[in-house]
Amino acid sequence: MALTVEKTTKPLNGNNGATHNPAQTDLPPPPYLGRSVRIVGPHVNVDMNQSPHPKNARGELGKPLFNWYRNTVSKDPLTRVSAPNHFADRRQFLTTVINRDSKGKVNPSRVAVDDPAAMTRHIKAVAHYMGADVVGIAKAHPTFLYAGSRYVQDGTAQDAYETQSPEELVRKFPFVIQATTAWDYNKLQAHRHHIGDSAYHVSQMKGVLVLKALEGYIKELGYTALRGVVTPQAAGVAGGIGELGRNGLVINKNYGARIHMPDPILTDLPLVPDRPVDIGVEDFCKICRKCANTCPTNSIPFGDKVVFNGIEKYKINWLTCYKLRPYVHDHWGSCLTCAAVCPFTKPNVWWHSLAVWTLRTCPIPVRPALVHALKWIDDRFWGVMRNSRVRWMGYDSGIKPGDQACTVTGCTASHEGKGHSVVGDVGYYAPLKENTNRFVKRA
Amino acid sequence: MRLGPFKIPWVGEDSHKPDPYWDFFINTPPADMANTVTEMIRSAPEGNVFPTKAELHTPEITSSHVKELASYLGTDLIGIARLTALPTAGESKGEGHDTYPFAVICAVPADYDPRKAPGIGGQVPVQKGLFITFVLSAWIRELGFRATAVLDPNAEKLAVAAGLGTLNAEGRLVTPKFGTRVHVANVIRTDLPLAPDG
Repeated sequence: MALTVEKTTKPLNGNNGATHNPAQTDLPPPPYLGRSVRIVGPHVNVDMNQSPHPKNARGELGKPLFNWYRNTVSKDPLTRVSAPNHFADRRQFLTTVINRDSKGKVNPSRVAVDDPAAMTRHIKAVAHYMGADVVGIAKAHPTFLYAGSRYVQDGTAQDAYETQSPEELVRKFPFVIQATTAWDYNKLQAHRHHIGDSAYHVSQMKGVLVLKALEGYIKELGYTALRGVVTPQAAGVAGGIGELGRNGLVINKNYGARIHMPDPILTDLPLVPDRPVDIGVEDFCKICRKCANTCPTNSIPFGDKVVFNGIEKYKINWLTCYKLRPYVHDHWGSCLTCAAVCPFTKPNVWWHSLAVWTLRTCPIPVRPALVHALKWIDDRFWGVMRNSRVRWMGYDSGIKPGDQACTVTGCTASHEGKGHSVVGDVGYYAPLKENTNRFVKRA
Repeated sequence: MRLGPFKIPWVGEDSHKPDPYWDFFINTPPADMANTVTEMIRSAPEGNVFPTKAELHTPEITSSHVKELASYLGTDLIGIARLTALPTAGESKGEGHDTYPFAVICAVPADYDPRKAPGIGGQVPVQKGLFITFVLSAWIRELGFRATAVLDPNAEKLAVAAGLGTLNAEGRLVTPKFGTRVHVANVIRTDLPLAPDG
């Protein structure tokens, strides 16, 4: 049922990755990734040195972005300990401590795995016990792997297999474990604010901790665990964590788009992979467009899927999304609008499960009608744009940027005679949309 | 517990019993300590204190912010003790409570006692505690105040002083919520102006 605008895909210039043509017979066939994303053409493995953060770290995206990335210290103490790059002292940021290149050795006495299904249940129970909210296991495929060197954001990874091609790696290490954390729903309502930032960044640190502990545990079981090898979104979709939405995020049935996609683990531990899921994201994204409407930079497409690098999906404009950041740095760090407005992003409670279950079990031809109904409910009861006020730890999302009631970060006390007042139930939401044409002119 | 077709999963059943690898996870000590996250965090150096002190409200409000952040980071029990009120053995002079007036004590529930379960799974409460105390002490340093999170042999006594529970005959902390199945994380000693509990 996928609506497709077929385009011929040119391999990216300057990319040293191998080209995978699914028509070639010596390669495994392209895996089924669910209805939301398909591998349709020749795919050039992504070289993460050409991805946004490394490009910016080299100064290739211009001075404002480079200075934002490298030379700014956040005014907010909590951001300085939880967000990448804007710390005053790198040692205060836990992720840099955890994601240092692992020095641990694989245990020479290997635990025998007689029943991969039991081991799969065990690994999932272990990940949940350590604090993960969602765990998925995917069968690895060469198209999921990065080209070139290992890439771990805010960290490093090295292993003895770096010279091997994606095909060799997949033959040797057939499984990918993706364990991830969801960020707090109530704090996410104050996105475009330090509260939303901390919801995002603290759960990200926790996810990094869980995956590192899981990596160490797999090595203790006597099996290899490689990091910085696999595209997280591919692993998430193939491992049944969710479907790929219009906003380019993996959307989970329980948490919607408010889950992280950290660097997964490629391993030779015998496991039973999960299957991709169909929770109706494909049908919803075709109609909804809430993320595209509310994106402050118009980076999310209103149109159909396109084929990019051999993959049929909705293609966001990452550069315009990225360019927003230096403009807003004084007030907040992470936008998160597309995740917050997504109708799938709701508290993990029974009525949300019921709505997703209804959509999931509905026959595909009838789904558009159901989606229209669900979207109407969502707009009516949850708002076309979310702007509820959140107060936490002295922060208050009801105060406009630049309007501080006192000099204490996020203070809401009245402070008679200082000439400031709390502005009201506005959040940071509405004003930003007025300035969007500086990024992309909407057609 | 199974009642005909209905199952109450949290009553009378160890959910990990059918798992053949669970005992390895909980009880087998790691062959290489570098594989554990706890070792990574413990060996990490402390960062600098931010040069500008943040403007704070009253100690009560600051305490409530510390507690809100700690519970968001995952602690179930948190208390603040005044260190001058509780001289501890061996640390009565010089460094210690003379320079750090307050101790922030966080505790997390522990299904298995981390002192008896050396496996990666048995150490998960320690791992959670280190996560909380690392981020919380780093945040206090970023507020411009000194804070240091260290393993403290008197942590359980300080936890009692902070009002988290009482000590039993063996000297173990007993809390109203979790009994003795609780792990007291590293003690954060700080000069952030706080309002002590207990």
